[in-house]
Formats: sequence, structure tokens, C-alpha cells
Amino acid sequence: MTEYAHPEVLVDTDWVKQNLGKPGIKLVEVDVDTKAYDAGHIAGSVGFNWQSQLQDQVRRDIISKQEFEKLLSAAGVSPSDTVILYGDNNNWFASYAFWLFKMYGHQDVRLMNGGRVKWLNESDKELTAEPTKITPTQYRASEPDLSLRTLLPEVLKVQTEKRHNLVDVRSPDEFTGKVIAPPGMTETAQRGGHIPGAKSIPWSTAANPDGTFKSADELRKIYLEEKGVDPQKDTIAYCRIGERSSHTWVVLKYLLGLPNVKNYDGSWTEYGSIVGAPIEK
Amino acid sequence: MEHQTRVYENVFEMMPSEENPTPLVRINRLNVHAEFPLYAKLEWMNPFGSVKDRAAWELLRDLEERGKLNNGRGLVEPTSGNTGISLAALARARGHRLLAIVPNKVPHEKKVLLKIAGADLEIVSDELCPAPGLGDGSINLAKTYAKAQSHKYVMPNQYENENNVEAHIKTTGPEIWKQTKGRITHLFTSLGTCGTVTGVGRFLRTKNPKIRIVAVQPTEGHDVPGLRNVSQLEVSKLFDPSLVDDILELDFNLAYTRALDLCQNEGLLAGPSSGLILEGALQIAARDQRGFGVMIFPDNIFKYTSNMIKHIPGLEP
Repeated sequence: MTEYAHPEVLVDTDWVKQNLGKPGIKLVEVDVDTKAYDAGHIAGSVGFNWQSQLQDQVRRDIISKQEFEKLLSAAGVSPSDTVILYGDNNNWFASYAFWLFKMYGHQDVRLMNGGRVKWLNESDKELTAEPTKITPTQYRASEPDLSLRTLLPEVLKVQTEKRHNLVDVRSPDEFTGKVIAPPGMTETAQRGGHIPGAKSIPWSTAANPDGTFKSADELRKIYLEEKGVDPQKDTIAYCRIGERSSHTWVVLKYLLGLPNVKNYDGSWTEYGSIVGAPIEK
Repeated sequence: MEHQTRVYENVFEMMPSEENPTPLVRINRLNVHAEFPLYAKLEWMNPFGSVKDRAAWELLRDLEERGKLNNGRGLVEPTSGNTGISLAALARARGHRLLAIVPNKVPHEKKVLLKIAGADLEIVSDELCPAPGLGDGSINLAKTYAKAQSHKYVMPNQYENENNVEAHIKTTGPEIWKQTKGRITHLFTSLGTCGTVTGVGRFLRTKNPKIRIVAVQPTEGHDVPGLRNVSQLEVSKLFDPSLVDDILELDFNLAYTRALDLCQNEGLLAGPSSGLILEGALQIAARDQRGFGVMIFPDNIFKYTSNMIKHIPGLEP
């Protein structure tokens, strides 16, 4: 059995339990359900709200370098800390936060494999509703690493050149345009369908029933052999708003070790609203 | 207590039992199969209006007996409505509190009813591109409260608690056996927590191993409150596939049209899950020709006016 290309980006729940409270290790919970952290979290963790803290609150964008520095300073994180991210829904938004940490150059950031649901369902793991005591820091981030992110102009160019892997990680019904967004979602687009040439590989393809990532061998078989992602090509992953694609981005870049993988966080809510952009259904 | 005169000293005495069963009413105009009578067990005649009264009462009494509700500790439970209404009303009448974790898709009427019944509500969005095995957001949030704040909350967990099954072994099963004088050949039920199908099924099989247990499920993508498609069933640890002879997957729109049929032809103001169960029973009656069917009708139509309008536009006044 082969290893992940970068096994250091994952820790398991037992590792987290053994390292709770150790200096230099900071836990950050990021959930889709923003109420979950307050209901109960791993002792010592801080909670980030993806809606109000990880996105610019005026224009549609990720938070700026200054806002990222402010957020991490208030969370008591130092650039030399090992940051462990975890969250609900198989680490969707934890993966999004992971991507953001990588964008702003945090050296040692990892995901707790299986996320909060795995921890919750293990009888030897505890949760608390006690607020975490934080000593603020003066966090300094790097300029954003734009090799990890793609924006619309590049997506439109790539779409015509056909030299990239485009991986659509949404549900099959979103891919075919049967629905524009999953039921009840407020972020939507003007049109349904997918970017021409994209392969449909739903994010959950990479996950085991317990929420952990599948093994390197299984992932290689699914993505490279069955779905035909070409490891020689550059790759772009997208979904609806960029969080599920962060999950797949972690898989392709760090678990399979593909050379150049970008997350398109504009995703379908941007692409599916552009006048004249080519769409396949 | 005196079931003859129906005079009770408190609401708990009204809870169903072999001596105080919910009614069985025969379907007349909608069932053309003369050799296959179908009887509906009207679970909305329970004190809090649904089949869930049985499980809620059993779960609550078990927690009380084990001292889990002492020192002001309350309950937390993921609920699509009916369990919450029963549990909230029962809990408040016993002096306890309930925090109900409610999926967003639950009808507005039910959410209001939960609050009227005395529950505190927390509403979560569950239908966000779910993955197999991940579990429900509402179940996980309830588990989080019970784990992180165990001094404040205990979770009965209707999806995993054997007392949910036990309630039906003690009450629903014996009621049906007595009411049909042992003539029942087919039981028709839906799948939610699976407490009903597993409990009633187990009891009836001890009486007559040949009784066929038929479960109906709505097609995937459905919006029938309280029901689960088999693909959603991994959350219920109470599902025992070895008990079920037939699982019928039925177009979920039929839940609404058949419920309307029951209202307008039988005088039974049955809810959508009852509608789907009737459809399944009629299909099996057509297939098997002879039998004696009992259908568990979980609740009535009053909570579902907005769902009904959505599926049957002609109902809009």
C-alpha cells in the first residue's frame, strides 16, 4: 500500500487527543453549521465562522492578508504553530480554511482526518462548551500564493485551450444542470450545467463512511485510472462556492501529489452567471 | 383509570395500551379487493397526535427511572416534528425541558407546534449535498450537546434507543393482535427511525411467523416529513432488514395524492405518510389478492397544509 504524497497534512483523532494542550499546537474548528462550535468543541479550540470571518464582508472575495492576520492574531495563533483544522461535513469548510492558510503561507497546517463527526462518535473523545482562553498574538502572513487559486479569466482561457484537468466536485444533479444548487441553498447561479470538458467527480468520492479520506491506492484508482485525471496536466477543482472543491483540492494536491492544482473558489455561482460563458449540460 | 367512561386523572393515563388501543378503521371506498380487507390504525388518536407518543413515553420513562433527568437536566433530541411534539408535551407535563434539533425542511406548522408544546428549538440545514454514512446534521448537533454539556442535556436518541422498539413490542403489536383477533396477514408501515416496523414486526412474528411485514419508502429526493428512503437509513440503528419481507419504493408525490384520497373518500384526515402506506397496501392487495392488512397511519393531515398545497396546487383557495 502506497502512502499519501504528503501524509504530513493529516492527523488522526487519536493524535489530536494525545497532543491536546501542548504548546505550539492550535486547534481551529470551522463548520458549515455555524452553531455547532458553540454547542460543543474540542477543548482549547477556537471556532471560525466561514460566513463572517473567512470571507470579505463587502465584496465577494476571500479575506485580505490584513484580515487574515487580524483573525489569527485574535485566535492566538503564531506563524510557527502547528494548526490543526477540523469541522463538520467531512471537513468541507475546514478544507476551505486549510486552503486559505496555505494561501497566506502558514507553514504547518493540517486537517484532523474525519473531522468533528469522527471525534463526536468516538467514546473516548470529549467535547466542551467552555469558551477557550486566548492570548492574542501579532500574526504576520505572507502575500497570497496565487499558484493555489484560479480566477475567472484563467478559467475561461483554460476552458478554450482544453489542456487542463477540470474537476467538478458537485453532485451529479448539479453537474447535469438538473438543479442549479442543492435544495435550500441561497447561493445560486443564473444557469445550470458545468464548464465544458469538466469531469464529474463528486467530492464524496474521496471519503470513507466514517468521514476520513480514502487510502492513497483507492484515490489513485478513482481519480487517475477510472475518472481519467491526467497527472501530467495542471488541474482546477470547482464546486458551487469553493468549499467542497477545497476538499478535493486537498486530495489532488496533497494526498495524490499532483503538481499544479488550483481551487476555483468563484466556482459555479460565478461561472454559471457569466453572460456568454460556454456551458455544457 | 376507567377506559370505558374515558375519565382520566392525568394525560399519562391516556397513553395507548392493549386495554386502550388506538382505533382500527376499515378502508371501504378506496380498496376494491374484497378478499383483502385493509384496516388503518389511527395513530393520531394518541394524546399528542401521532404514533410517536408511544416511543416518546417509553424513552422518557426510561430516563426518569434511571435518574437521568434529575438536578434540572433536560432532554436534547433530533426530531422531524412528531417525536418532538410528543416528547416536549410529555416532558413539560412531567416538569422537564426539551431542546429539539429540527431540520430546516420540516414544515413551518410543526416548528410552531413544537414551540407551543414547550420545546426549545434549534434549526439546522441538513440537505447540503449529503454523503453516505455521514449522518444527519441534526443528529450530530444533538449528540454534540449531550456530549459537551452532559450536565444540562441527555439525549434519548430515538434512532438508536431500543426503548423505541420496546414501546411497540409492549403496545402497538399486542393491540393489533388483539384487535384483529389474530387474523392479520400483512402489516404495512413506513420507515423513519424504524422503531415501529421493528417493534411491531418482532411482536407479530412471535405470534405468527408467516405475517408479512411490508415497508414503504418514498423515492429519493422526497420531502415527506418523518420518512426515510433506504439510502438515508444508515442513521437508524433500529432497522432490522431480516424482519421486512417487502420494501416498496413509491413515487413520493403519491404520499400527498393518496392522503387527499383518504380525506375525501374515507373520512380519514390522514397525513402524507399514511397516504404512501395506503398506496403500498393497495399494490400488495392487488398482488396477493387474499389477506388481512393493517396499516399504521402515523399522523393526520393538519400539520401538512403547506406541503399539500405545494404538491396539489388545486388546493390553493
